[in-house]
Amino acid sequence: MASGAGIAWLLFADQSVSLLPFLRRDVTWQAVQQRGVWRVGLDPSFPPFELLDATGAPVGYDVALAQALAETWGVRAEIVAVGFDSLPDTLKAGRIDSIVSAYPYDERLTQDFLFSTPYFDAGLRIAVPVSSTIRTLSELTGQRVGVEWGSVGDMVGRRLQREGAEINLSPFETPDELIAALLEDRSLDAIFIDNVSLRQAQAAGQPLAAIDAPLESIPYVIVMPRRAAELQNRVETSLQLLKTRGDLANLENQWFGHQANKEGAQ
Amino acid sequence: MRRWRYDAGVNMLRDRRRLSLLLLVGLLLALVGVWVWRLYLPDVVLGPQQTVQTTNPKVGIHTRLTDEVEEWKIKRTLEMVREMGAPWSVEYFPWAYIEEAPGRYNWVHADQVVAHANRQGLTLIARLGFVPAWARPKDTTPLYLDEERFADFGRFAATFAERYRGKVSYVILWNEPNLALEWGYAAPDAAKYTALLRTAYPLIKAAAPEVHVLAGALAPTLAPPGSEFGVNDLVFLQAMYDAGAAAYFDILAIHAYGWHFEPDSPPDPAVVNFRRSELLRDIMVRNGDEATPAIITEGGWNDHPRWTRAVRPAQRIAYTLRAYDIALQEWPWLDALCLWVFRFPWDQNSYQDYFTFVRTDFEPKPIYTEVQRYTHELTR
Repeated sequence: MASGAGIAWLLFADQSVSLLPFLRRDVTWQAVQQRGVWRVGLDPSFPPFELLDATGAPVGYDVALAQALAETWGVRAEIVAVGFDSLPDTLKAGRIDSIVSAYPYDERLTQDFLFSTPYFDAGLRIAVPVSSTIRTLSELTGQRVGVEWGSVGDMVGRRLQREGAEINLSPFETPDELIAALLEDRSLDAIFIDNVSLRQAQAAGQPLAAIDAPLESIPYVIVMPRRAAELQNRVETSLQLLKTRGDLANLENQWFGHQANKEGAQ
Repeated sequence: MRRWRYDAGVNMLRDRRRLSLLLLVGLLLALVGVWVWRLYLPDVVLGPQQTVQTTNPKVGIHTRLTDEVEEWKIKRTLEMVREMGAPWSVEYFPWAYIEEAPGRYNWVHADQVVAHANRQGLTLIARLGFVPAWARPKDTTPLYLDEERFADFGRFAATFAERYRGKVSYVILWNEPNLALEWGYAAPDAAKYTALLRTAYPLIKAAAPEVHVLAGALAPTLAPPGSEFGVNDLVFLQAMYDAGAAAYFDILAIHAYGWHFEPDSPPDPAVVNFRRSELLRDIMVRNGDEATPAIITEGGWNDHPRWTRAVRPAQRIAYTLRAYDIALQEWPWLDALCLWVFRFPWDQNSYQDYFTFVRTDFEPKPIYTEVQRYTHELTR
């Protein structure tokens, strides 16, 4: 009995502590290599990360990221459109090899899946004009801070006020009005804004700078099957490569600027 | 001198042993005391009887306490619902969680939810569904139910109604029966759902005649004919009437999501919007069922920053308040408007989190504050 349990532990224990890693086969990675195709699941209803173009084909930051990663392995990324809520079950069922879908890290899923390091943080940032001397949250005391009415930024601003922060909150109906009040009307000293909207504004040429740590963090990660340790290693290595080469920054500029331009044209 | 030192040392050692023994006994007694206290005293007191203060008696919300294991969080959730000015609350009571084996019930969690909802002065609508493993074939999902098991479900619903007589006066039978997903991927069939109503309704009425039975709760969908995923809700409701469902429910449950349309966007069979509810109402009237009221048991808007079916947070607030106004002023056939969803026990890490009014840590979102302001205005 004890020896059976011991063997099971050796075979199935976490990769980092397993004594016999050579006995563990990453069937997901093997299948990707044999197929020459990395099947990536995403929900194309989440611009600029994933959306459908005029022909109905999925495009976006995550699609481009998946293609760039696959290219480093000499395979092709095949995009599989799956509803967001069904992505984990689809991965568990082996219908896809990974999820690349603006998927927030979820510690409750670590028993079922492996995660990459975050490739984007969509959380809440403090933004100021690039010419501003404000550099930290504490320097907002007595300052005028804009938020989008009803947003997470609004909620955090109200909470900071309840906790004693002496900031003067001003609500605006849209992120565009918020940014205009900061940069054009000069009626604000800082704004609380989600990082995607901020990056889109920056890509559109708005002179905005993010300061201090995110007020709230929403790290997006790539999700893989629990036993796909080799795939996880490959993803990590390639993410680092793309980061070092500046490819990730280029993708952000391409897709955040693309979306900002598209919205501006409407 | 040396002898004295020896005796003193022995005595000190004895004293230390006695002290240690006393401490050990004291610790054991304290542990037993804590155990007895935990056994006989409730962790969370119900508190005084409350009533909901509101200017709109139709305001409601769907809570999500199903997997909320800590009683203080159940209490806090329902307190905050009352403080928001919502007299109505919908909550899910999974059959599988309660009837663990045929005839063997675990009411602990359900009792807590019902007791706290009652104490906060809320009118609770209980949604019943989720099939225990013993009532379905192996390798089926907990939403799968064969017709030969309808009586088991009916008996559970009747037992539930009887247990909570005077405390829960509304029960919803099943959820979104026009979707394959909600039948464990079996084809949705209005006649089959009507058969379920025909089985469960008389059992509930025999146990608690005053309980209102809600049916429908159809998913608003534009699924084309023959879709494997679902049946258009307007088509499904008519098929329910055709199958004779009218005699087996007291109130129609409606799901009214607005997606990215404003609440005054006109009803259109080709569009999923808030006023699609009026099309369902038209079907009720056309079938001679105008005396039967309706309750919206799910609905509302989502304010995720990028989800394609979401609206901006400011729009969500304005649309939500307008929807509550429509319910009060324009829809006399509607008893309550219960929007999805008050709070989740944990973050969903998806667009679902942007349906909530309160975060998992009980941080009120601005929409909560605005609805509270709306329900507490002195003059409207």
